[in-house]
Amino acid sequence: MFLAWKEIKYSKTRFALIIGVVVLVSYLVFFLTGLAYGLAQENRTSIDKWEATGIVLADESNLNINMSMFPKELVDDVEASETASLGVTSSVVQLVEESEDDDDSKVNVTFFGVNEDEFIFPDILEGESIQNENEVIADISLKEEEGYELNDELSLAGIDTTVTIVGFTDNAKFNVAPVLYTDQPTYQHIRASGFGEREDEIISAIVVQTDNGELSEVALGTDDLEIYEIDEFISNLPGYNAQVLTFGLMIGFLVLIAAMIVGIFIYVLTLQKTSILGVMKAQGISSKYIGKSVVGQTLLLTLFGVLTGLGLTLVTGIVLPNEVPYMNNILFFVSITTLLIIVALMGAFFSVRTVVKIDPLEAIS
Amino acid sequence: MKLIELKNVTKTFDDGRKKIEALKETNFAVEEGEFVAVIGPSGSGKSTFLTIIGGLQTPTEGKVFINDEKFSELNEKKRAKKRFDEIGFILQASNLIPFLTVKDQLRLVNKINRSSFDKNDAQSLLDELKINDLSDKYPSDLSGGERQRAAIARALYHDPSVILADEPTASLDTNRAFEVVEILGRETKKKKKATIMVTHDERLTDYCDTVYVMKDGVLNKK
Repeated sequence: MFLAWKEIKYSKTRFALIIGVVVLVSYLVFFLTGLAYGLAQENRTSIDKWEATGIVLADESNLNINMSMFPKELVDDVEASETASLGVTSSVVQLVEESEDDDDSKVNVTFFGVNEDEFIFPDILEGESIQNENEVIADISLKEEEGYELNDELSLAGIDTTVTIVGFTDNAKFNVAPVLYTDQPTYQHIRASGFGEREDEIISAIVVQTDNGELSEVALGTDDLEIYEIDEFISNLPGYNAQVLTFGLMIGFLVLIAAMIVGIFIYVLTLQKTSILGVMKAQGISSKYIGKSVVGQTLLLTLFGVLTGLGLTLVTGIVLPNEVPYMNNILFFVSITTLLIIVALMGAFFSVRTVVKIDPLEAIS
Repeated sequence: MKLIELKNVTKTFDDGRKKIEALKETNFAVEEGEFVAVIGPSGSGKSTFLTIIGGLQTPTEGKVFINDEKFSELNEKKRAKKRFDEIGFILQASNLIPFLTVKDQLRLVNKINRSSFDKNDAQSLLDELKINDLSDKYPSDLSGGERQRAAIARALYHDPSVILADEPTASLDTNRAFEVVEILGRETKKKKKATIMVTHDERLTDYCDTVYVMKDGVLNKK
């Protein structure tokens, strides 16, 4: 470390440049991770909120909840410790006082039709619970991003009904859209508008919870339904997997590139120093000591660069507007930091090999 | 006491077509406190001779003893260790590390053998070589003469028994060259080292106790 640190102190500009590059690349990696995580969360927070074991959909829906419809009586056929019927439909809402021509004020939302006595009913962060028909509990993002308030009246696209926000809940996003929770009758009314009135009540899914977390406990009692693990359901949300994989691949490559940059820099620096390292070896300084110093230097550079990049990311996260789906995740940040350092150290070992191979005889003659 | 001893040492290089005898059979010894000069034209085998003593290469035949230990028989790692402990090198272009100050050059030795840095020790050594006011300067800030004196300080600092100097005056003007050789001679006597200086400049041998001439791989006393 003595040599490593003294050299950094001596060639300040050179090492500042290297650290600068590491800072920028790791900043990019961390920020992208925050964005990817935030976006992924916006697909699924409302589902994670259930803490459910599995979800029952119509057999022919192919795991697509929008295509899953069945009579609500089928709930009685499903046996599990906890069941909850859920109706899902997307819609477009707008404050009633806004003009219908003003497209900017329209918001894409997902309606969840739920029963108050069942476990997927949301907790209230602000306001109160649903008492009457045409009342909704809205995701807090509608307040933070759209400025909606309690008792605001919303008109719905394609239907003559208005709903009133009576409460707000948090972490309620489904497929990147905020969720509006309503009671079953209101849900039936909104859903039917798209298909024409139907007599029987239709729901989209039954969410189940079991005591031991195993699906095998659940008895379906009908062939028309199929049960899925909640994780399987999430990864089959439209676009979810593609999104996660794309970001994952980008982040993976960036980590590799960042580490390679450090490795290459250190390697070039080592090559530049071949003759002086040869003299050191002629003096009897062991390859081990020199190698340790190379590894130590890499560690210092990467650690400093990566932590600065992380700091920048956290600061950026604070000043970002709410609309950007950015979210910190300590676990990801810690593992990416570790990964960056490990891969950079692997790059440093090429330099160590060079050090070992230097022949002191050549260096002094 | 003989600090350096070579017994029947030869060095032959085989370049595939023919064998080149870089060093013909040599018997040679340096006593404690003896300052030896080896002169000869370039290509005469002086460097081969010095690097064999320094353990950077091993003799084809014969044995090298440093401080009564069979140095040439040790494996590479042990030789490096022994070289670090027992031999101080002074090289043509100076053996200083560019990114360390004069003081840190010495401190590096403490770092490597895990001893504590004695400020007074270092200071008195630098005083002796008249470079104590340069202890916080980097090699690039020093003149050629100062640099070689710092190199001598570095070579003497860990108290080796042997000093090997390879053309230590090559980059210096005559006055500076004499000064450096004089210091080497003085320190050899005072600290009881065995010192070998390889040079092509005969005028510098005035301060030496024994002078050898190397010619075509054969070493003779002058």
